[in-house]
Amino acid sequence: MPELTRRSLIKATLAGSAALTFSGCGMLPRKAGSNSPQQYTGAIGLADGRFAVGAIAPSGQMLWQAPVNTRCHSGCNRPGTAEVLFFERRPGWAFYVLNSKTGEQRHRIEAVKGEHFVGHGVFSPDGRYLYAPVNRYEPGEGIIAVYDSHQNYRRVDTFELNGIGPHQITMHPDGQTLVVGLGGILTHPDYDRIKLNLPTMKPALVMMDRVSGNILARFRPSHHQLSTRHVDVSPNGTVFAAYQYQGPIHELPPLVARYHNGHYEEVDFGESVHRELGNYIASIVAHPENELVAIASPIGGTALIFNGRTGEVIEKSAIADCAGVEALAGGDFLVSSGRGKLVRMGKGKPGVEVASMPVQWDHHLV
Amino acid sequence: MKRLILTLFLASSLITAPLMAADANGANESTAVYRTQWHKDMLAGYQSLATQSQALESQAQTYCQSPSSEELEATKRLWLDAFLAWQQVRFIDFGPVEENNRAWQFQFWPDPKNLVARKASYLLKDEAPITPEKIGESGVAVQGFPMVEYLLYDQTFSRSESALPAGRSCQLLVAVTRHIARNGETLANDWKGFQSNYLGSEQYTDTTIRAAMAGLEILEERRLATPMGLRGNGKRSIYSADAWRSGASLIAADASVQGLKKHFMPAFSKLLNDREQTDLAKRIEQQFEEVLANFPELDRPMAPLLSDDNAFKPLQSLYVDLTQLTALVNDRAAVELGVVRGFNSSDGD
Repeated sequence: MPELTRRSLIKATLAGSAALTFSGCGMLPRKAGSNSPQQYTGAIGLADGRFAVGAIAPSGQMLWQAPVNTRCHSGCNRPGTAEVLFFERRPGWAFYVLNSKTGEQRHRIEAVKGEHFVGHGVFSPDGRYLYAPVNRYEPGEGIIAVYDSHQNYRRVDTFELNGIGPHQITMHPDGQTLVVGLGGILTHPDYDRIKLNLPTMKPALVMMDRVSGNILARFRPSHHQLSTRHVDVSPNGTVFAAYQYQGPIHELPPLVARYHNGHYEEVDFGESVHRELGNYIASIVAHPENELVAIASPIGGTALIFNGRTGEVIEKSAIADCAGVEALAGGDFLVSSGRGKLVRMGKGKPGVEVASMPVQWDHHLV
Repeated sequence: MKRLILTLFLASSLITAPLMAADANGANESTAVYRTQWHKDMLAGYQSLATQSQALESQAQTYCQSPSSEELEATKRLWLDAFLAWQQVRFIDFGPVEENNRAWQFQFWPDPKNLVARKASYLLKDEAPITPEKIGESGVAVQGFPMVEYLLYDQTFSRSESALPAGRSCQLLVAVTRHIARNGETLANDWKGFQSNYLGSEQYTDTTIRAAMAGLEILEERRLATPMGLRGNGKRSIYSADAWRSGASLIAADASVQGLKKHFMPAFSKLLNDREQTDLAKRIEQQFEEVLANFPELDRPMAPLLSDDNAFKPLQSLYVDLTQLTALVNDRAAVELGVVRGFNSSDGD
């Protein structure tokens, strides 16, 4: 797999300066396969220790920064509208509804008593219902909380997950099935972020009907400490799950799983690649235009692209503290880092830094 | 609207220089030699924790069998010795101490909701016998040094009916010190058993350096800056410090710095020297001495220093010395060695 060799560095440098010389801006292509606004929105930490949500345009401009009370994690665009939501980081006591054009705050919706958000959510395809994974922390139960945006985000339903520690949620292209990463880790806000049940974790990839709340399928990883956190689905319905291993770092278990045609299997990248991923994946994104899937590991300081069908590693870059991933029109990916970098990479294109700014990007871009 | 700073694509900025980087010939340059030293130095720290914890357990039994003010004082002294032995190795946040949240078991902190007091009150009112199993299932707020500190030092508690040497409080004291002693012994043994994995995995070099960096950062930010009112709402508050009940916040800071000097620095200096960072290694060693020169004068309770601006000054000096040490290790040395602690990597989700 090509490392960032000296030669590719020189090539990257030249390509970069050419772009700067010839276009100056318009560095990034459009966002791939998406009806959402043509911008990238992420939770950020600011140099002075405060937190915000920020959106950048493909031209590389920071469009807006909306101040928030505490560190946020991820969010979702509301289909068919100019609204973007961001969730406070676990334990998240609220989510913010922002105007995606201006960053203006429309709502700040607090969690129900005894519950907290976990940093993620997704809308129904018509943009009406918000599905947010939630921890009910006294009994330690994971649920999906349903909010109705037509009623100022009133809570309208609750679906039981029969498990602990839900994290990322996404919508299957069938428009009907929610795909949920059930991390399996029990936490309680009184106990900081201590993981209270490492010996007895039961992580899973869960499929749920978004109307009835029925659990349609549940897949367990090969080891009970493979916390199944992040998920994505390709347009053909292949589901990808990314793990964070809770065991010791000298053990190198698989970190990615794939579900397709009724078959759940884990992808083995080989020991040396696993070592570079530090047993931790922050984001997984399946490209809507091709078979490629990108993952980023801030612990390993590694972002890589693999073929979602074969599991073959296609490209790999060392990017310190990288975490956020978004698909770009044309087949490439954009990776963000806690050091304010935006890096573009694709098949045959090792990482090229396209922007650097004095902010810390949290785990996800939406 | 803020225009981004578009940097030229110095792609080298994308690259960290990991310690296990291949050299010019493509061969992996092993850092096992440093881990060999670290393993040995940290084992000494864990063994001291095991020994001191056993001494505390045995003294707690002695005191509760025949209570006297002398035996209570002796118990307090041995609590402090064991607590300081823990402070010396507290920065080690990987390996066997990660199992079963052992680090949290030794010291549940911060405790903004005062769970230690709440749990103590709950356990003392409860009728069920205080068995090792009961302690085992009562959660980390019960299982470590802060609970023993509460029983020995808390002012409200020691004026209450339940105050030591009341029977049930003594049972709790003996049971918790026993739990600490068992954990200390297991941890030292497990650390020995961890040797081959630790020496065999290159990534533990980065992990070890990151542990020291995190230890320094926690000391600077959470154990000093926060109670000193330099963070958050800007108010000085002893309740944000650790070990405020016993007045041991600063002597614990002293022990943590000494622990880094003894159990981390020898191999780290060697690594820096081998990487031709001789000057930096020397500056870090000197800065350790600068920090430690604030002690033993500052081995005293923090609360009175927070309430008086004149008394606050030596605390500020310690803080400034410590920020310089942190900058040298976490910024200078870590960057030279390509060890990264990040916004996402140091506290993920």
